Amino acid sequence: MKKFSLIVMGTVLFFLYTPVFAAGYGAAGCGLGSIVFGSGSGPKQIFAATTNGTFGSQTFGISSGTSNCGDHGLINLSKEREVFAQQNYTSLVKEMAQGEGESLYTLASLYQCPAETHQAFGTMTQDKFDRLVANAQTTSTELLTLIEDEMASHPKLASSCDYVLTASN
Amino acid sequence: MRADLPASLFLLTVFSLTFIRNIVLLFVVFLLFSGFVNAQDKVNNAGNYLLERQQYAKQEKLSEQRSWHLLLKYGKKTLGGVVSEADGLQFFNSPQGKTNPEEELAATLASFFVPMSDLAEDEEHPQCRFPARFKWLNQELNFDPRYLEIQECDRLARWVEALDPVGVTLVFASYFLNNPASMFGHTLIRIDSRRNEGERKLLDYGANYAAIPDTENALLYALKGLMGFFEGRFEIFPYYTKVQEYNNWESRDLWEYELDFTEDQLNTMLLHLWELGGTHFDYYYFQENCSYHILSLLETANPELQMKDQFFFSVIPSDTVKIVMEQENLVKQIVYRPAVLSQMNHKRLAMTDEDRQIFHQMVKGKVMPEDPVFSGLPEQSRALILNAYMDYLQYQSMQKEEIAQEVQIPHSILLARSRLQNVRDESDEPDQVDQVIHFSSSPEQGHGADRARFGMGFNQNEPFLELAYRPAYHDLMAKDVGYDKDSEIIFLDFKTRYYLESERLRLDRARILAITAMNPYDPLFVKPSWRMALEIDTLRDRDCNYCNSYKSNFGSGISYRPEYFSPLLLFSFIDVKTEFSGHLKHDYRFGGDVEIGAFYDFTEDWKVKVAGGYQAFVLGDTKDFFTTNFEARHSLSQNLDLRLEYNRFDENYEAILAVNFYF
Repeated sequence: MKKFSLIVMGTVLFFLYTPVFAAGYGAAGCGLGSIVFGSGSGPKQIFAATTNGTFGSQTFGISSGTSNCGDHGLINLSKEREVFAQQNYTSLVKEMAQGEGESLYTLASLYQCPAETHQAFGTMTQDKFDRLVANAQTTSTELLTLIEDEMASHPKLASSCDYVLTASN
Repeated sequence: MRADLPASLFLLTVFSLTFIRNIVLLFVVFLLFSGFVNAQDKVNNAGNYLLERQQYAKQEKLSEQRSWHLLLKYGKKTLGGVVSEADGLQFFNSPQGKTNPEEELAATLASFFVPMSDLAEDEEHPQCRFPARFKWLNQELNFDPRYLEIQECDRLARWVEALDPVGVTLVFASYFLNNPASMFGHTLIRIDSRRNEGERKLLDYGANYAAIPDTENALLYALKGLMGFFEGRFEIFPYYTKVQEYNNWESRDLWEYELDFTEDQLNTMLLHLWELGGTHFDYYYFQENCSYHILSLLETANPELQMKDQFFFSVIPSDTVKIVMEQENLVKQIVYRPAVLSQMNHKRLAMTDEDRQIFHQMVKGKVMPEDPVFSGLPEQSRALILNAYMDYLQYQSMQKEEIAQEVQIPHSILLARSRLQNVRDESDEPDQVDQVIHFSSSPEQGHGADRARFGMGFNQNEPFLELAYRPAYHDLMAKDVGYDKDSEIIFLDFKTRYYLESERLRLDRARILAITAMNPYDPLFVKPSWRMALEIDTLRDRDCNYCNSYKSNFGSGISYRPEYFSPLLLFSFIDVKTEFSGHLKHDYRFGGDVEIGAFYDFTEDWKVKVAGGYQAFVLGDTKDFFTTNFEARHSLSQNLDLRLEYNRFDENYEAILAVNFYF
């Protein structure tokens, strides 16, 4: 049910969202939700690589807004965890299996876990790995929900982190 | 009388009421009138104030100041005058703004006085669109809020608040493995936020300047990039997306240079970045490229820095890192962020030979985690192998055209790894894995990209002097610190010789473009080595008074290095060659060659190369002959080396002693 409401909410947000950017507005933009890594032939294109344009086709230009972004062109704080998990998903899952790593600790900090608990957070994700990533189809959003459930019942993380936000946004 | 009293009182009351009413009315009228006058006054005052400030600015020659030129991106024109690099006209307030700093300044001042009511509904006030200009002009002109209404810039305020900078970091993306052209590198900046201090660098925002390409054709791409046909824009994005892009997708090491700026300078830089977000520039691959604009941004933050104008022919990203390093007290700290394959190679180096074999077989799919040959290993070995394997799988998964939502590393591998203890917990002493090994060297340690060469030598006939220059970039014999040690890219290398006895000055060689990519054999990534060259050369195998030929060759080969950091590199190539020259029968010859050779690094400063080849031309002017090539290089410093060369072409030979100066 929770998942369903998330999807509905996401869809509604997507359709309601109208870019407020107009010509003459300053600041580089956001457009993050639309990134797909690896499109284009990438490293095979020598010249593309040298002119630093390999990523240009997914420009973060000023007029591109997505539901993840605020009108100031940055990621909405409420979406920060979701976007982070989605964009770093492979790194995160890998580090969870290893029980440590920068992306993993960064996620912990996004749950407001103090630095001294990051290792415990890492160990928790490693210990509960088969529950958190039950199969290859697990998505990043599902993963976050499951991590939050595990944190709630963790003796240390439950009290030192703030893990209830995602679902309500 | 008694009856009159109320009447007179009544009259008096009526009279006084009328009087009071009139007074009130009068007062209201006065108020209204004076209000009008005040408003009128205010408009007049504001107008006068603007005129007065404009005049003062003119008198003080503000528009000639470096800060103003930096903010508006003015650069000198060859024939005098200035022109702004910005190509989006909304960047200017005056129609003449692109070429006239003084007009632009006056118009900018005027725009700050425009009342909100005069703007379209979704238009932001010029004070909010050009906050860095407003900040600087306000510092210089001390705007009086009685005459100039200071606007609230809501979006900008939230933007600055969200970014909340305490520092800025210059980030250099190193070459990616075995792609010579990527040696040029790329730079961007990271805005270090107060809320991410400590270990949350991934959450900071990055900003860069990049071309927006509109073609996938490599040749068009190169041409358009060289000639400024692409539009370049500033972009801002979470830093982790760039880490994913460079570290994991392209597998390039990142070098982070934390810079020292005051909070006020950072604020100016941010406000300026906001202005830049709304405009675009023509992207020139060599001059106005990513690194140039990053330098320019840093200069805007601190106009005392003078970095971008030190470049003459081209702005190469690694050179900009050097310039930044040369500034006094600018770089606080350098951080190395290894690419995913560097991380994997790091783990491979830490493995025992036996473990490494098993790892290689696992990559090939011949060993599974549940196989006894693997499960029989100690836990620490298994963890290390799986860690390396997951790095490999992560890299491979990113090479796919599209990435789906699901988990990219096979579930069984993840699960197997999650059941093992961490490598570190197993040993008491610091593990080999914990040591940082740099798989690339930081760019500021490399030699300069420009090279001037002076040499002397002799051939079978006579002695000669040699003079050469090339603007870019790195050859395989040069000291490879700061460069990909297995790649070479030579661009516009012109060499002339003066023959002392025949008293002739000749173009000896002009290499338009020459690229070599050695890909030492790696069981995980089997890639051929390749090389190509386009050049004007001397027909060295014949005696035609040092006549020239137009030459192109392309070849493929294999190379081998016994270990990752071994000093020995063996190679062999097979090339296809075409030459055109009036001095050849039929004006051309077509054929090929086979070459084998070796490089050896005795120390960082001493390197030798020995190679032998056989060339056979089968069409046109047919001929076949042997070639021998010996070279030695001794580096005297980062930017100075000595070369000794001996080349033999058929019966002819030449020996040269040369000194190379890089800058």
